[in-house]
Amino acid sequence: MITYVSAGLLALLAVSIPVGIVLFLLGFGVDQFFSNFPLSRALGNMVWSSSSSATLIAIPFFVLLGEILVRSGVATRTYAALDRWVSWMPGGLVHANVATATMFSATSGSSVATAATVATVAMPQAEKLGYDPKLFSGAIAAGGTLGIMIPPSINLIVYGFLTQSSIPQLFLAGLIPGLTLAFAFLMVTAIICAIRPELGGNRRVFPFIQMARALVDLVPILILFGLIVGSIYRGWATPTEAAAVGVAGALIIALAFGGVNWAMMRESLLGTMKVTSMIMLIIIGASFLNFTLSSAGLGRELTEFMEGLGLGPLGFIMVVVVLYIVLGFFIETLSLMVVTIPIIVPMVLAQGYDVVWFGILMIVLVEMALITPPVGLNLYVVQGARKSGNLNEVMLGVIPYAAVMLGMAFALIAVPDIALWLPNALR
Amino acid sequence: MELALINELRKLNRAIALIVGLGLLGMASFVVADIALRQVHASFGGTEEIAGYAMALVSSWGMAYALLELGHIRIDLIRSRTNNTSRALFDIFSMIIMSWVVVTIAIKCWPVVERAVENGSRANTPLATPLAWVQIPWFAGWVWFALMSCLVTLAAIGLLMRGRATETEPFIGAFAEQDTLK
Repeated sequence: MITYVSAGLLALLAVSIPVGIVLFLLGFGVDQFFSNFPLSRALGNMVWSSSSSATLIAIPFFVLLGEILVRSGVATRTYAALDRWVSWMPGGLVHANVATATMFSATSGSSVATAATVATVAMPQAEKLGYDPKLFSGAIAAGGTLGIMIPPSINLIVYGFLTQSSIPQLFLAGLIPGLTLAFAFLMVTAIICAIRPELGGNRRVFPFIQMARALVDLVPILILFGLIVGSIYRGWATPTEAAAVGVAGALIIALAFGGVNWAMMRESLLGTMKVTSMIMLIIIGASFLNFTLSSAGLGRELTEFMEGLGLGPLGFIMVVVVLYIVLGFFIETLSLMVVTIPIIVPMVLAQGYDVVWFGILMIVLVEMALITPPVGLNLYVVQGARKSGNLNEVMLGVIPYAAVMLGMAFALIAVPDIALWLPNALR
Repeated sequence: MELALINELRKLNRAIALIVGLGLLGMASFVVADIALRQVHASFGGTEEIAGYAMALVSSWGMAYALLELGHIRIDLIRSRTNNTSRALFDIFSMIIMSWVVVTIAIKCWPVVERAVENGSRANTPLATPLAWVQIPWFAGWVWFALMSCLVTLAAIGLLMRGRATETEPFIGAFAEQDTLK
């Protein structure tokens, strides 16, 4: 069954059938060929129970929050403000790219939206100031991937929902690896630019008074982030409630900066509806596939399959890492997560690994999928905003950052506490 | 004619998505208001439950909009490496499969609603919401999605039959990611 489902999955995806629909088709297939009783009868109930979820409404809320911040021009102000604060390091403005991407990932929860925002704001600057286009655009594409790691992360909500693990725990676990990655990105940029100064532009040092003034644009976003994450961690609010508060906060900030009007609200709401529906079709399909697989006896078959492999837990997790890297060349983040969760997560748990820890490892691996060609959405997004040069430059530019991510994946395997220390300490 | 139809469907679903989106904004305000009330030891009660129903409606009624805006993710691996006509065939094939699956989902959702109506089932919660109230509009959303998928597929097949397959690109082809992000 595992072989058939995996082969069917890849074949159906390859002929460009929408990912959500592929998951339903596989569910129908499992029902038809591997089950003794008709599982499709439960389809209606599955669709109802997986979509009428108060937890999942956090997804459209977080998407809306990001849309409001981006479309009201708050992102542009943040970029300018961060330029004042971080561009003194070797590499100059490249650091502002990484830092802006990190901040927006912390509030918006979407990698693509983050990369698109930063790319649109930053690219005109790069040409004006004479930066090397490879490193400059690579930093944006890579920085944008932090969006799904640093809480609040839509992908972690989806993971928590499908594996029935605690979303606040996942959020806590993602914080240290996410910030570490952001910091490592800054360090790598500084090191590369210290060795080869021609790749970065001039260091930009601003007088203190300008730095202080820039805080006006930075502080509201930081407060919003603190509010969302803090209230979840302290148990004052569920992720859903925190997301709703986040929407209100984003609207207040956007209003204060004078960026709110009907056209902008209309586009934000429509964008939110489109992204949410896309995610929900995949989630409902995955819930149905999950259900058919476990009802048809996946658990027993997995145990046999793994005994057959004869790998220890470490050998097994290495196979998983390689699998994600390879699949990541072809399949996009959320789809990659959702299509693999029903099959991979039960195997990983059977090996005795922690479900929260694996969630974070999986996020690092699917983050890489966002920037590995030929299908790496962030590469195209950044290229789309550049309007000149070719895609190869962006691909070359992300190599150092992809290496850092791979390093992080191995570090998580060697020292699981990078992810688990914080949730355990605050439990 | 087909293209005019698609245009009308797009306008219609845009309007629906906007209404549902405003509902979503309303739901967010409701949740925030409830949190505020809790500070003074009051509450509307049942916010969680209502949020769940809202999410079911948002998902079912947003699907057709995402379809017409090319929002449902597909993996473009082989398709993009072929010529315009085969690309259109890939798209039409994928639309036929999608319509079949969505129609199946809509049909299988009916027994859920039927049971709720016949038994007058109520949610097992303090609000004891009659489930038919929320499941009928939820079901209607899936029927709407099925209807839209079929109409889009028929429009595409209509163009294909008259040798205009490549004209289907703007409504079932081009992956929308790039242009939505500009």
